[in-house]
Amino acid sequence: MIEFNKKITLKLAKLSRLSLSNSQLENLEKDLTSILSFIDQLKEINTDSIDPTSNSLDQNLILRDDLAEDVLSNEKLLQNVPESELGFFVVPKVIE
Amino acid sequence: MLENLTIEQTSKLLNSKKASALEITSHYLKKVSDANKLNCFITVSEDHAIKAAIQTDNRISKNKKIGLLDGVPLAYKDLFCTNEILTTASSKILSNFIPTYESTVTSNCQKEGAIVLGKLNCDEFAMGSTNKTSFYGPVINPWKSNESDEDLVPGGSSGGSAASVAADLCIASLGTDTGGSIRQPASFTGLVGLKPSYGRVSRWGVVAFASSLDQAGPICKTVEDASILLEAISGHDKKDSTSSIEPNEHFYKNLNSSVKDLKIGIPKEYLSDDLPEEIQGYWNEGKKILSENGAEIVEISLPSTKTALPAYYIIAPAEASSNLSRYDGVRYGLRVKGENLTEMYELTRSEGFGDEVKRRIMMGTYVLSSGYYDAYYIKAQKVRSIIKSDFDLAFKSVDAIFTPTTPNTAFPISKEELDPVQNYLNDIFTVPANLAGLPAISIPFGLSKSGLPIGMQLITNTFKEQTLLNIAKNLQDSINFNIYPNQWWK
Repeated sequence: MIEFNKKITLKLAKLSRLSLSNSQLENLEKDLTSILSFIDQLKEINTDSIDPTSNSLDQNLILRDDLAEDVLSNEKLLQNVPESELGFFVVPKVIE
Repeated sequence: MLENLTIEQTSKLLNSKKASALEITSHYLKKVSDANKLNCFITVSEDHAIKAAIQTDNRISKNKKIGLLDGVPLAYKDLFCTNEILTTASSKILSNFIPTYESTVTSNCQKEGAIVLGKLNCDEFAMGSTNKTSFYGPVINPWKSNESDEDLVPGGSSGGSAASVAADLCIASLGTDTGGSIRQPASFTGLVGLKPSYGRVSRWGVVAFASSLDQAGPICKTVEDASILLEAISGHDKKDSTSSIEPNEHFYKNLNSSVKDLKIGIPKEYLSDDLPEEIQGYWNEGKKILSENGAEIVEISLPSTKTALPAYYIIAPAEASSNLSRYDGVRYGLRVKGENLTEMYELTRSEGFGDEVKRRIMMGTYVLSSGYYDAYYIKAQKVRSIIKSDFDLAFKSVDAIFTPTTPNTAFPISKEELDPVQNYLNDIFTVPANLAGLPAISIPFGLSKSGLPIGMQLITNTFKEQTLLNIAKNLQDSINFNIYPNQWWK
């Protein structure tokens, strides 16, 4: 069984876009190792000829016509934005 | 007159003009403000409630015929987006989020004239079974053990939805159920909690946790109320591509408590030595009642029961890690400034999410990451197929399955779990129905020796909610539970 070490935990934090303190990382290593040993039970189940189920609903996804509709105005869309300018979302500079 | 009202009773009071919607609403708003100790509400929407109550009274004064939900004070788990009312998902990251739209489910209730008293506390992003992971602090169970004065958990994640109805701060509530989050708290607080079939109810406008498992549903005082609310919130919604085209039904009108000639399956895998004797006792009592009322009790096998929990704890975090990637501080919610875009993302998410949410994002990211995707995520989805075919097979010979809802009763808030897996075991009886997309209900059965509610669960085949509600009503009428906690919080 894989044990979470600091290297794996750090990599996961990076992929998850989380910046964690050393003590948080240590706790997560312990917790994730315990969860992993729990879910590893599934390795004993033979699933060779089984198809995966991603959704239990026995129905094809229903498509609607792709028509332009008035949904939310620019003003409403920006009502919750942390920072905006000229009707746009503002983020830190991406290109120097 | 206005104590522990059900939807049915409220509707009668309004229609007979014995009480006005404004009187009832004001009475419940007062109860809410007297129960701050329980920490059920994150937001009380008093102005909206009063306005809606006056509108109901206007309809009544014009002698218009009003529907069953018209003028009935409800409250919603803070996972439902409500237009112009703060919606937090009990997370710091959404602590300033005021939606500019209304979820389909709550909008359906509003169209019927229901009154929203406010938004209910829950586990952060619905991740938990204790309500302890909320950024707004734990909800306190209105029930107390007769052995100690300690505060108990109401269960979770819809802890506020359950505690508020048990304490009679609203007439009924809406919650969501991804792995048991309606049924387990209903069981811990002596209420009826219903998770509909996957697809029965639109997920549009409900903050997403695990999209292939999430369903909204009612927490109520009676089976009748659950059928009224289920009917109100059900139906196809073109805004949710996974919402079913199965026609809505008149669940309330068609309620029929006869169980004669129905076959009820008892899965042998749900019985273990760990199951407390008093829960086993009520389970046996239920079998006896059903059998005396004309049903046939059949032992069945669901061989893959043990695999449901580990499969769930792969699938749910995987979907959550993907769903929660939208919280990046760009368009809404919390933003913590950073030197560059990546730093802004990382600081925002680290500050905005609590520990359990971070754990599940990390676990989900792990099982979806290259090299582990097949071994964990696909493997769990294959196990999900096996679990589903177990149920398919069982429903060839039985109409419903009868089990306990939880392996325990409400426990002290102060109980610390050193290992997250211990908490996950609370969901052991409820998770299989979510994985298979089946409707399931928890109904109150009685009290433990220490005076705490114990609930039992019924599961039926997909879209067989009417059968589910009928059997539940049969049990409800035979047991006549009807007990509410002492109002110690006043």
